Amino acid sequence: MAAGPAVEKILKDYGNKVRLAIKFYPYKYRDFARISAEAALAASDQGKFWEMHRLLLKKSPKLDRASLIGYAKEIGLDADKFRESLDKRKNDKIIERDVNLALSLDLYNTPTFFINGRRVIGDVPYEYLKKIVVEELNAAKK
Amino acid sequence: MKKLLIILFVGLLVATASAETKRYNVSLEGSPSVGPQNAPVTIVEFIDYQ
Repeated sequence: MAAGPAVEKILKDYGNKVRLAIKFYPYKYRDFARISAEAALAASDQGKFWEMHRLLLKKSPKLDRASLIGYAKEIGLDADKFRESLDKRKNDKIIERDVNLALSLDLYNTPTFFINGRRVIGDVPYEYLKKIVVEELNAAKK
Repeated sequence: MKKLLIILFVGLLVATASAETKRYNVSLEGSPSVGPQNAPVTIVEFIDYQ
């Protein structure tokens, strides 16, 4: 899972002061978790990571291969390149690196956030994310 | 008396240190990101789309 609306609102309200990076932590036992991460990175290779990222959050859990290819077309990606990237697991190394990082941090939940290194686990409400972001902004001013 | 003060002082130090927020060092390098490179706040989000 990922925290769609809460994170979107943080970016909307604090976008000029916040940098958001995405790491992939697909659960082993979910059929489409890994291929969805591949899809996001395949879109990234064509310069459209965020478009695909948002679409995947919106469409989840409908994330089978055929649907993903449909989403790629929807945001105007080169469908052949996209398909090849999925089928060859072109970005598997990035996903594997993120999974290993997650394991090394003892993460077992998604979403998990690190806000200036402060760990926040779960799909927390906007207000909670905001509280920590504001605390960090205030600390940065000192 | 002096000894007691020292013990109190050390105790206070330990309490302050443990009250400090634990921060993890998670590199953003090589991950898709949005927002200014030098932003005062960085958020790393581990996700699973499914």
